[in-house]
Amino acid sequence: MEIKQTAMAGTLESSDIQIVLSQGSNGIEFDLTSDVMKQFGDDIKQTIEDVLKAFKIDSAMVKVVDKGALTPVIKARAITACQRALDMKDQPQWEVL
Amino acid sequence: MAADERLRRTMMFVPGNNPGLIKDAGIFGVDSIMFDLEDAVSMTEKDSARYLVYEALQTFDYGNAELVVRINGLDTPFYENDIKAMVKAGIDVIRLPKTESAEMIHQLEKLVEDAEKEFGREVGSTNLMAAIESAMGVVNAYEIASASDRMIGIALSAEDYTTDMKTHRYPDGKELEYARNAILHAARAAKIAAFDTVFTNLDDMEGFVRETEYIKQLGFDGKSLINPRQVAPVNKVYAPTQKEVLNAQNVMAAIEEAKRKGSGVIAMNGQMVDRPVVLRAERVMKLAKANNLLDAEGNYIEK
Amino acid sequence: MAETIQELYLHNPMIKKRWENFLKDRGITVFADQEVDTIDQTIGLFDEQDNLVGTGSIAGKTIKYIAVSDDGSGESGSRFNQLVSALEMKLAEAGHFQIFVFTKPQYETSFQHVGFNTLAKTDYGLILEKGTPNIDTYRKGLPQKPEGAKSTVAIVMNANPFTKGHRYLVEKAAKENDCVYVFVVNQDVSLFTTQERTQLVEEGTKDWDNVLVANGGDYMVSYLSFPAYFIKDQDNAIKYQTALDASLFKNQLAKPLGIQTRYLGTEPTSHTTNLYNETLKTILPPEVDVKEIPRLTAGSGQNVVSAREVRALIKDGSIEPLAQYVPETTANFIKENLDLLQKRILKGQKINGN
Repeated sequence: MEIKQTAMAGTLESSDIQIVLSQGSNGIEFDLTSDVMKQFGDDIKQTIEDVLKAFKIDSAMVKVVDKGALTPVIKARAITACQRALDMKDQPQWEVL
Repeated sequence: MAADERLRRTMMFVPGNNPGLIKDAGIFGVDSIMFDLEDAVSMTEKDSARYLVYEALQTFDYGNAELVVRINGLDTPFYENDIKAMVKAGIDVIRLPKTESAEMIHQLEKLVEDAEKEFGREVGSTNLMAAIESAMGVVNAYEIASASDRMIGIALSAEDYTTDMKTHRYPDGKELEYARNAILHAARAAKIAAFDTVFTNLDDMEGFVRETEYIKQLGFDGKSLINPRQVAPVNKVYAPTQKEVLNAQNVMAAIEEAKRKGSGVIAMNGQMVDRPVVLRAERVMKLAKANNLLDAEGNYIEK
Repeated sequence: MAETIQELYLHNPMIKKRWENFLKDRGITVFADQEVDTIDQTIGLFDEQDNLVGTGSIAGKTIKYIAVSDDGSGESGSRFNQLVSALEMKLAEAGHFQIFVFTKPQYETSFQHVGFNTLAKTDYGLILEKGTPNIDTYRKGLPQKPEGAKSTVAIVMNANPFTKGHRYLVEKAAKENDCVYVFVVNQDVSLFTTQERTQLVEEGTKDWDNVLVANGGDYMVSYLSFPAYFIKDQDNAIKYQTALDASLFKNQLAKPLGIQTRYLGTEPTSHTTNLYNETLKTILPPEVDVKEIPRLTAGSGQNVVSAREVRALIKDGSIEPLAQYVPETTANFIKENLDLLQKRILKGQKINGN
């Protein structure tokens, strides 16, 4: 699916993650800021990519600021960002959950 | 009426959009955790909180705590999606805010049942509870409490209620006297739990303990909490005395004795032990265990 | 319960006082109307006892007036993050995903920790940005300089409107170098709109192949990097702002684009522009040269050619003398649109600024 609008989800508070999705032109591109980049950077990207895949988004700019979020939090924020970016805030895609 | 007798001394509110608090909610030993999608979440973050609580419920271990979600009211655009998401997540209890009539519970029950069918949950596996937050809700407390077999409890929510009554909260709680008693009676008549409202001043622990002692005296199952610091004081207030524990142990022994003899009648000191006494004894034993008042052999630990 | 964010309504004098006092205690002391009036929304962070422990504001797409109190338990970082996060959500709601912060240098790491990139930093001030588009996408969107161009220079102009003076400056640069970037100030607060100014620069420079006209975006003499250019203010504020603008130009544009020299026109009449030029001469070298070209004079040599003169003529409706000051392309545009321009002046558009 095509990203319709830039969308943000999550916060910069401890244990959270802020994800901003915008239109991309070259597959899925990440810009990740995290204090645990070395240990978990790839896991964070993988979790977000899986969610994007579930929404069939294959081109996006993904700007991420991680504040030590655990996987379910990353997943929840990614889902929120996708729903918002696809302009489907009020139509949850239940099969993606 | 879901006539279970689980302990519900403490129901802690956890803001639904706060990952830090959601992640840690299981470590304080509360009886019920109430994830809040309603007042604790701003209008623009309703979707975000819903997914966050959903994912948390899939992953985090909350031990034996009963898991409750306060959804947004049925007059909001978030109501139906909240129900679907929480039923899909397998939540134990859905709490409806601002409940004023049995009809509102019926409506909720219908949507919950639809969601259970849609997402392959066992029909009837999702329990319900209602928050009473207005004069109308208090007046209709019994019809609300008895509106469905899924109902496990009703709770007083004093902030909105006192506003509706054209007053506000006072330290002595006199303004809540009628509502507390009405809700408690409705709950007992319907054989479900009664939860008291929150106490918001975290600096006044003395006042908090006084109010908890008071609502325990009235007969409430427990209290709604806004902070983990409030858990231990409530548990302490609800802890049984040594005398209560010894008495309960005698009742349990009498039951054992009757079983051993194959007798259908439980007797103690020449008196027949009837059902309410047995239930109370069981509850005291649960409380004693929950408060770590018994050693491995079941002896009361002097403190 | 966590600490909570609430809106602060500054039009309530009591709330405004409390807000000002909180900021003053934390070293933020400038509450000039022109700064405060641009604020769209202000939020406060309150602790469990309802004490104000942090605040921040948004104005357009910038974050301003941010401060948190440190309660000694090392929580100020989390308060800061909570505030910035809430402000970003407000900006996102308003559709801003490219955001800027104009703040004190000591907050640099705090903002970098939450995903901001530093655009410019001086001893007194700091500009950071976050989101897209950003300085990278801006640079990528600029016209490409010709293959093999060696000497590359830049001119930044508001061109309100494009005059013979501007043209003289561009011509000199174009003849002396392989490639000239002409950046037109983006801020749309002048008599001629950004689109009109850009069009007139393009038309007035099209006889040189090596001149590349581009919009200056948010990065050159905008409200962001240089508010004092549009607001008459004390010299100190101007120096402080121009230093940031100059440093941004040097590090984010000149270096990556290989611009070796910045061309300037001398400014005998504008105090602000004079100060600006002085700052450029202090900050850009040695990496970037500054070449100041004396102003072209008109007619008898008495009057320097300035856009301000041109605007005065438009106001008076005197078309004839225009030819002395502006190239034909600009003169034609003014003749065709004289009514429209005069209406804008009547409506209150100021013409004696820059």
